[in-house]
This record gives sequence, C-alpha cells and structure tokens, in this order.
Amino acid sequence: MATRLQFENSNDVGVFSKLTNSYCLVAIQGSTNFYSTFEAELHDVIPIVHTSIGGTRIVGRLTAGNRHGLLVPSSTTDQELQHIRNALPDSVALQRVEERLSALGNVIASNDHVALVHPDIDRETEEIIADVLKVEVFRQTIADNVLVGSYCAITNQGGLVHPKTSVQDQDELSSLLQVPLVAGTVNRGSDVLGAGLVVNDWCAFTGLDTTATEISVIEATFKLQGQNSSAVVGEMRDALIDSWA
Amino acid sequence: MSTSGLKAIAPVPTAADFLDIVLSKTQRKTPTVIHKNFKISRIRNFYMRKVKFTQDSFDEKDLHPFLSSLMNVLYDKNHYKLALGQLRTARHLIDHVAKDYVRLLKFGDSLYRCKQLKRAALGRMATIMRRQKDPLAYLEQVRQHISRLPSIDPNTRTLLICGYPNVGKSSFINKVTRADVDVQPYAFTTKSLFVGHLDYKYLRWQVIDTPGILDHPLEEMNTIEMQSITALAHLKSCVLYFMDLSEQCGYTVEVQCKLFHSIKPLFSGKPTVLVINKIDVTRLEDLTSETRALVQEIIDIDGVQCVHVSCYSEEGVMDLKNKACDALLAQRVDAKLKGSKINTIINRIHVAQPKPRDGVVREPFVPEAIRLRKKYDKNDPDRRKLERDIELEEGGAGVYNISLKKNYILANDEWKNDIIPEIMDGKNIADFIDPDIAEKLEALEREEEVLEAEGFYDDHEDMFDSDDERDAAAAKVALGHKSEAQSKKKMKNKARLPRTAGLRSLTDLTADLTKAGLDPSRVQERAVMIAKMRGAAHKRKRDENEDGMDVDDEHDGHESATEIAGAREGESETMDVDEEEGKEDGTPRKRGKANSGGVIARKHAPRSNRQLMGLRDEAQASKALRLRNLGQRGRNMLAKAGESDRAIRVKMPKHLFSGKRKAGKTNRR
Repeated sequence: MATRLQFENSNDVGVFSKLTNSYCLVAIQGSTNFYSTFEAELHDVIPIVHTSIGGTRIVGRLTAGNRHGLLVPSSTTDQELQHIRNALPDSVALQRVEERLSALGNVIASNDHVALVHPDIDRETEEIIADVLKVEVFRQTIADNVLVGSYCAITNQGGLVHPKTSVQDQDELSSLLQVPLVAGTVNRGSDVLGAGLVVNDWCAFTGLDTTATEISVIEATFKLQGQNSSAVVGEMRDALIDSWA
Repeated sequence: MSTSGLKAIAPVPTAADFLDIVLSKTQRKTPTVIHKNFKISRIRNFYMRKVKFTQDSFDEKDLHPFLSSLMNVLYDKNHYKLALGQLRTARHLIDHVAKDYVRLLKFGDSLYRCKQLKRAALGRMATIMRRQKDPLAYLEQVRQHISRLPSIDPNTRTLLICGYPNVGKSSFINKVTRADVDVQPYAFTTKSLFVGHLDYKYLRWQVIDTPGILDHPLEEMNTIEMQSITALAHLKSCVLYFMDLSEQCGYTVEVQCKLFHSIKPLFSGKPTVLVINKIDVTRLEDLTSETRALVQEIIDIDGVQCVHVSCYSEEGVMDLKNKACDALLAQRVDAKLKGSKINTIINRIHVAQPKPRDGVVREPFVPEAIRLRKKYDKNDPDRRKLERDIELEEGGAGVYNISLKKNYILANDEWKNDIIPEIMDGKNIADFIDPDIAEKLEALEREEEVLEAEGFYDDHEDMFDSDDERDAAAAKVALGHKSEAQSKKKMKNKARLPRTAGLRSLTDLTADLTKAGLDPSRVQERAVMIAKMRGAAHKRKRDENEDGMDVDDEHDGHESATEIAGAREGESETMDVDEEEGKEDGTPRKRGKANSGGVIARKHAPRSNRQLMGLRDEAQASKALRLRNLGQRGRNMLAKAGESDRAIRVKMPKHLFSGKRKAGKTNRR
C-alpha cells in the first residue's frame, strides 16, 4: 500500500521521516497531520516516534537504520538519544556514530540484510554499521552518485534506484543486495528517491506529487498490494513507454 | 492546437491604436534633436532612420502573433486567411513606401526638405494602416474566440469520436469521462469540440467529442462540421466512428456507411473502431441483409474493429473504451520503439533480477499483525482514534500539545512522565547513564584487588585519583621552586647573618677566653658593672613614670587634642619622645653631660587645658570638637590652611591638561 502525503507543503517525506520494518521516526511538527498519516497505517504494528535529531527536523536524512538497529549522528543530543531509546523496543539497537559524513541517511542505504554505503565513509563507521544493523556492508555508488542513501530506496522485497542507473549497474547492485531492482522516480520525476519515498516490507509513503504511474511502479517494485516487480516489464510496460518516451 | 500557445497570443489593437503605438514608439526610440546647421548627410541619416524604424515597427506589430499556423486548423480558414493576407499586403505596401522615401531622402538637400519627406513617408504608412481597420478588428475577435476553446493537447493519447448527428457521441463521452456534454434529442446539439479525460492503464486519456458531420462535399460544409474535419485531419488519435443502426437519429444506415467511406482517407494510419450504438434498440443481426452487408463491408476493412455498444444500458461501454485505448496504445508504443528516445529510458523498463551470490536466504519481514489488521478507513465509525482526531477535539493545531512520552516502552508505565534533569551538580546526567554500571564497577574493583595484592601501589607514592589532583600536586611543586628562586634574589641585598647570630653570653666569652689561656676577670668585672648601670637606669625610669602620673595624664589629654590641632605642636611632641628614647638607650647625651646631674629638663606643660575652658563636661567638649571639625571639612577638602588661605597655586596644572585624555582622566594622571 503506497500512501501519498506531504510534510508542511514539502513533498520530500523521506527527509522528515524514517521507516523500517520495526519502527518509524517522524519529525516534530506544529500539527499532527503528518504523524497521523503514518499512525493510520502503522499504529499497533510498530512504534512511531516523534523526534528531532540534533534539534533539526530532517530526521530521515540524518539517521540510518533497519529492523535491527538505528544509527544516529554525533549531533544527536543526549536528551534525544534517551527519548528515542525509551520509545524503541529493546530489540532495536541504538548507536550514536562519530562520522564526518553526519547525514547518515544520505550516505547509508540498507535493508535488513545488506547495506550500501558512501565510498568515503570511515572504516570504524563501517564496522559499527555491520555490527549494529547486522548487515553486510558494500561501498558503492548509484548512477555515479556517492550519496547512495539519497538516490535509492531499498527493502527486503525490492529496490528503486536513480532513473539514470544503467542496466549493468542495476544488475550489479541487484546481485549485491539480492533483491530485484527497478530504476524509477517519485514526486513527478524527482530522482532523489530517498527523499521522496519511505518504504518498508509492507507499506510505502511518497510525496503528494507522485503520479499514478510512479505509484504503480513503486507498488510493483516493492511488492506491495500483491503486485510483483515483473509487472514493470509486463502489464505496465506499454504505459511506461508511452508516458516516458 | 496547443492551447497554451493560443492563450498567449497578444491582443490585436485597432487601426487607430495601431498608428498611435507605432508613431509614439518611433518618437520614443529614435533620436529627436536635429539642427539645420548639421551636415546634410547627418540630417539625411537622421530622417532615414526614422522612416526605416517606423517601417520595422509596422512589420513587427503586424503578423507576429499570427504566425502560429495552428490556428488555421480550428478557425474558418478562408476569412481568417483573407484577413491575414490583407495585413500582409499592407505590410508590403509599407515596405515599398519606406524604400521609396529612403531613396528620396538620400537626395534631400536641406533639413526642411528631409523633414517634409519623412512626414510624407510616415503619413503614407499611416494611411495604408488606417485602411486595415476591418481585418484587425476581425483578427482580434478570432483571438478572443480561440482563447475560449477547450485545452486540447495534440500530442497526447486521444480518442476522437465522430459520426452523424444524434448517433450518441456525446452520450458516450458522458459515460466514460466527466465532461458533462449537453445531450439533446436533436441534430447538432454539439456545436464545437468538447474534451473529457479518463484514466486507463496508469495513463491519462483525452476524449474529444466532435459535432456531427453530414455527408456532403468539403466545400459545402459549415463551420461546425469543419471543426470535426480539421480535428480528424490533424490529431493523431484513435477514431471512434459511431453508427446508429436503429435510424432513430434520422439518417439511414446507408447514408451513415457512405459518410464513413467519404471521410475514410482521414482515418489512414489511425486505429479505427466502428461503434454500433443503441444496441438496446437494434442490433446488427436485426438488419436486413442488404444493409447488413454495407456495415459488414466497413468491418471487413483492414484495421477496423467493430464494437457493439449501448450508452443507454451501458452495455459494452467499458469494452469499447478498453479496446480503443489498447489499440491506440499499441500503435503509439510501436512508433516509439522505432524512435531514438527509447534508448534513454530502456533502463527504466528493466527489472534487474539478482544472481545468487551465496546460500543465505534473505527473507522479507512482514509482521503477523499486518495481515490481521483492519485497513484504516476514515469514514468507518469504529475507526481507530488518531492523534489528529485528538488534536481536533483539544482545539486544533497550535493549541494541542502532543505528548512525546505517551508511547514510551518502559518496564513500568508510571515512569513515563518522570522528569530527568539534564544537568545535576554541574555534571551532564547522560554522561553517567550506563545500564552496565554495576557490573563495570565490580570488574574495576576486582582488578583493583588484584593490583593491590600484587603490590602495585607499594612503591608508587604519587598515585592520583584524578587529573585534578595530579595538577594540584604539580602546581605545588612549581610554586616551591618559584618561591625558592625569589627568596634567593631577595637575599642579595641583605646581611648574610642575622643580628642575633653574633650575640654571645658572658659565660661563653669567659669560657672561650679561659680556653685560650687568657684571664677573663677584667672583662668580667667590666661587664658586670655595665649591666648594673643599665639596670639602675631602667629602674629610675620606671620610678619616674610612677611619680609623674598626674602630669602624664594631663600630657596625654593634651596630646590627643593637639594631634588634630596642627603640625607644629605635633613636631614638638615627637621631639619629646626622642629625648626620652635617648635616655632609654642609656647613651649619654651631650646636654645630659653638661647638666652633670643626670637630670634632664622636661618640657613645660600648662596646668590647665585652655581648650576645655568654659565647657561643662567631657561630652560638651567632644561635641564642640566635632562641630569645629565639621566646619573645617570644606576647607580641608580643598587643602586650604585656614579661612584666610585664598591662594590659588597653579591655575592649570600642566600634568592635568597636557596630552590626550581618555575617559576618567580629567582629575587624575
């Protein structure tokens, strides 16, 4: 199920939220609209945590995580750390990372088994990622972009990568991640998938501008609502060619 | 027919406005100052420029908005073309006039003649323009009408509905889109193009409803019919040709078939669907064999599909929509696959399937709760109460303050709202939070015990608990070094031995002398004598002090009064003390010797204190004293000796008035 929403007139929902299979982080806002959209889909299933990171609202870009753990940047205050710790179950490890590339969400893209990271990330950070998130870590670029977290969205079911990723790169990344990959866009042609889309194994949230075609590609890619990623080359192929070419 | 272009057409001014615009523009944008004394070539150039500029302005204003030939498709071509043609002719005429007069200007020999030529040129141009009044007015009307047309995108996926009047074209568009076209049981209800949109296969489709067409030659068609024809001719679309077999529309099946054949050339290269409408009334099977053969002839044409529909009972409507859309999509995709643009998106219609790299199974993780969960529906009365609902109840956004601690997962729910201070006793509490602190402490203690048992601390005197202590110890040592160095320096100007170092007792002296083999008796005698003399002098002084009690008392009172009184008396007082001290020393003074009695003359003190005369008691005296002091305070502050001291020593003390002064330096340097 893919839901369209906005954060204060911004379509970049991935900037202001972080969604994994075991928790969801949401930025603090004046109203509860954004939070409640998540609540309607996820309440009673996983905890939804209202939080700031280092006093900012860009929680999605500053944090990286999966079902097993959550990494927060060094700018996170002690109070925020305690708040997140209180709100998350004990099964989720929480770790503050001293990393120069402090927007962890931009430099780390991970599902529950594999993580792609920025090629310049610290060796120590790499070890922390492997330990806390319990993943295999690969230093990669996506369509020659080092910000792997910004330009892709991956789950255990599938992954959406930058629209300019070549077929060879897609195949290579797919073999690393061991999930099917599709190149696509969100928010009416935006290539920053990490910012425009938050997704886990059973639901997705995208910006309000996302078109029906984009939504259907997303649902097929991440196998939401009983769709399968082969739909992109099957029933949807003609529609996709006609709308893009 | 891209309407964004049509809406952007600039308004067409009337002939009079046109002239004003052009002439004032010429005046504004060319030089205006000329003098008859200028060189004739300059004068010529000046006027030639004006004429040419006017010509250019006419040209520019003229046809530019109408160059968009897309308008031809929709508008009554002949009239419109005529108007445009007239304008073009006018432009040519103006160009000729300009050319002629520029040539004439080259031979102008004075400013006056040049000016007259320019006037003539502009005048003739204006006359030509004034004659174009009607075409301009007409073109403005055309523009306004065009801007009101529906927005038709010529490049998108389009279903074009055509056929005889009253066969159910508008009914169909109303069924599949939300266009809401007027449907009436008479011919030519629809008089212009209507557009509706529908969604199919993740795409947006444009459906165009055209006015009905009658089967007659193109020249005889009216404007309403021509719109349909132009749309058919120029739009790449899927054509839906509607037929009414029931003949309720008032036209026979034969006529309808004939129309199909006559406009068939317009369908070439487009997917075509023959729509048999109103099947709730008449079906193909109900027709006579002749008419049926006519219809069948159309169906048999290559590339024509046949669909049976009833817009009334909605039978086959969706089928028609899907078939038409599929046919058009297939055609468009084929065309696009042959194009070059496909290469840029080939990576986006590709699903990269992973090649297994190890035996690990990476399962997706979907909680069981998701499968059992009821989908949230905001219209469901028993729906889950969201934070947004609570917010609305509590007064809306900005008023309601969400509790962030509400969903904490803690061992005891009562702890949720506990307040933990951030800083306590100057320490950040978070630095000390450690779930394993007890174990760590125990481990540390164990290590300590081991170290102690090994005797690690025995030979280390300076073990410090913290950095602070270590620093303090280091500072102490440094201070010791410093004070030692300083005291060494100080010693430079001081005697190396203290005064008492050389003092020796008489016993020591006699012992030393005896040891040295000398007789100390004489020295001893003299020493005893001196000691006696000193003792006697001391005793005498003590006696004297006891005897002269009264005098001393008086003297004391006098002293306290004189202390404040003045410097001279104070001086004598100190002399007094000196004398006494001299006596104390026991050193004989000259005056003492001269008197030879050993009695020293004392200073005379008056028997009574005159300052206290006339005062009743001590309290009154002290009050008087205080009042006097108070009266003197002002003078004292100005450093005056007394009331009569009016001296002004230096008017402007140099040191107070020379050099730069910063704040606070006015009275003090």
